[in-house]
Amino acid sequence: MKQNMATPMELRCWGSDWGLPSVHTESLIVLAYAKFSGAKVTVSPIDWTWKTLTATVPELVCGESTVTEPTQILNFMRKQRFNADYELTARQGADTMAYIALLEEKLRPALLHTFWVDAENYANLTRPWFASRSPFPLNFLVPRRHANMALSRILLTKGEAPLHRITEVEGKIYSDAKECLNLLSYRLGTANYFFGNSPASLDAFVFGFVAPLHKAGLPSSPLQSHLRQLANLTRFCDNILSVYFSSSHPGKPRPPPPVQETVDANLQKLTQLVNKESNLIEKMDDNLRSSPQHKPHRPDPKSSLANEKSSTPA
Amino acid sequence: MSLAAEAFVSQMAAAEPWPENATLYQPLKEDQILLSDCASSLAVQTYLRMCGLPVQVACRANAEYMSPSGKVPFVHVGNQVVSELGPIVQFTKAKGHSLSDGLDDVQRAEMKAYMELVNNMLLTAELYIQWCDDATASEISRPRYSSPYSWPLNHILAYQKQWEVRRKMNAIGWGGKTLEQVCRIRSAFATSSAQFFFQPTELDALVFGHLFTILTTRLTSTELAERIKSYSNLLSFCRRIEQSYFEDKILSVSLSLFIPSLIPSL
Repeated sequence: MKQNMATPMELRCWGSDWGLPSVHTESLIVLAYAKFSGAKVTVSPIDWTWKTLTATVPELVCGESTVTEPTQILNFMRKQRFNADYELTARQGADTMAYIALLEEKLRPALLHTFWVDAENYANLTRPWFASRSPFPLNFLVPRRHANMALSRILLTKGEAPLHRITEVEGKIYSDAKECLNLLSYRLGTANYFFGNSPASLDAFVFGFVAPLHKAGLPSSPLQSHLRQLANLTRFCDNILSVYFSSSHPGKPRPPPPVQETVDANLQKLTQLVNKESNLIEKMDDNLRSSPQHKPHRPDPKSSLANEKSSTPA
Repeated sequence: MSLAAEAFVSQMAAAEPWPENATLYQPLKEDQILLSDCASSLAVQTYLRMCGLPVQVACRANAEYMSPSGKVPFVHVGNQVVSELGPIVQFTKAKGHSLSDGLDDVQRAEMKAYMELVNNMLLTAELYIQWCDDATASEISRPRYSSPYSWPLNHILAYQKQWEVRRKMNAIGWGGKTLEQVCRIRSAFATSSAQFFFQPTELDALVFGHLFTILTTRLTSTELAERIKSYSNLLSFCRRIEQSYFEDKILSVSLSLFIPSLIPSL
């Protein structure tokens, strides 16, 4: 732990507004995960700097290494032993992957459309916000750049060659997104978090995707009104905001998940041993699935498979 | 297809039973079809077999251009043409054939999530290897893709396709990935998929389509197939589905021997 304290982690991301620690989905994911895992991250908003143009957000700077993209950052933090996924079984780890894929495929296009392509929302909410946070003359450039990227991403991933017209895909991406929200709502049920009593990386992802939609004052959004009907998802966001991002107790350190802290103390030596095996780490760090394997008795992939096998009818 | 058209089609579909002469179209099996298309096509065939719906497979060099969405495979049933697994599943459901009715809401959510995982990871990785790995693209994908066409159309179409896929990969942030990274992602998938499958559903059809195709296809690197082979439960899953649904068919290659089968030896 001390070793980690020596190299502080700095996170560059878009700043806070709308009652959220960041308005940017990817930044929110990382911020939430940092809170869940107990990592001490210094947040430095890129607002009003030239980084609004040059930086890839979110960006984690730790010593000499710089990591971008939420999944990479989460893996990096796991390597630093800030792991919120300790308790997950292999099956839950797989579920995490699957639901993240669901979010990426079904919800992201509609979110991009809602914030960046929908003319009313873009003119009244998104463009003014990002323009006001960018220094002159970037305030003219940054929002438009984001909007173009969002539009081309939607068209390339969801559009049907060779016409690529936005009106053709709008209906489809919104019905996909509503279905995705419904599925998440079913999966969450009445629980506080997706897996058990403490939040894990899937919770961070869902929070990152859903919270902006929940909190932003969008002038027109069928998706937002759909979300309003899914009470458990909005409650999920509000709960995470109040437990982990509550500004009413500014000095108060986050109550750490007790289980994980004790485990942490017990495991320190073992984890250090594991850390030495850089090879192992290399294999472990590049995907979410590896997270359960950070447990002390990290099962050899073969042996875990043998277990799986016995439960699978041949 | 617009939503209104979709709703209309499903209304129409409900009225008619599944005809005997339903046809599934895909690119030429011997020398044109690529790994990703073959996997999708096999997934649809498996799904229809699981439902017990008869379908004839027809190979057309221009299947991609015949399809309403520009993607293969597509089925021609009565008066309707439906492409891709998702819409086909909805279409058969409208006709009263469904495999996922017995699932509760949470299970269905899980199934959809895993299907997206297959699309998001396996399919994207297959496309990536086909078109963004230079060796595979020049030795396998471009020649095969353009095999029915003569010069200069073959080059134009192949490069156009490659450009299109690469733009897509850049848009979703896969542009800079190297082959090794992709292989690692796929192995990640193999680890995760070591445990799902509740009962035969469209998910199983989709997974089988992809895994079986990867196992029986020769690429420039065999790494992917090797990875999957190291998961014995995935192998037995493939073997089980193959035996239950494809016994009589050309697909019956011995999975245990892993000889490249009649399905495209890329």
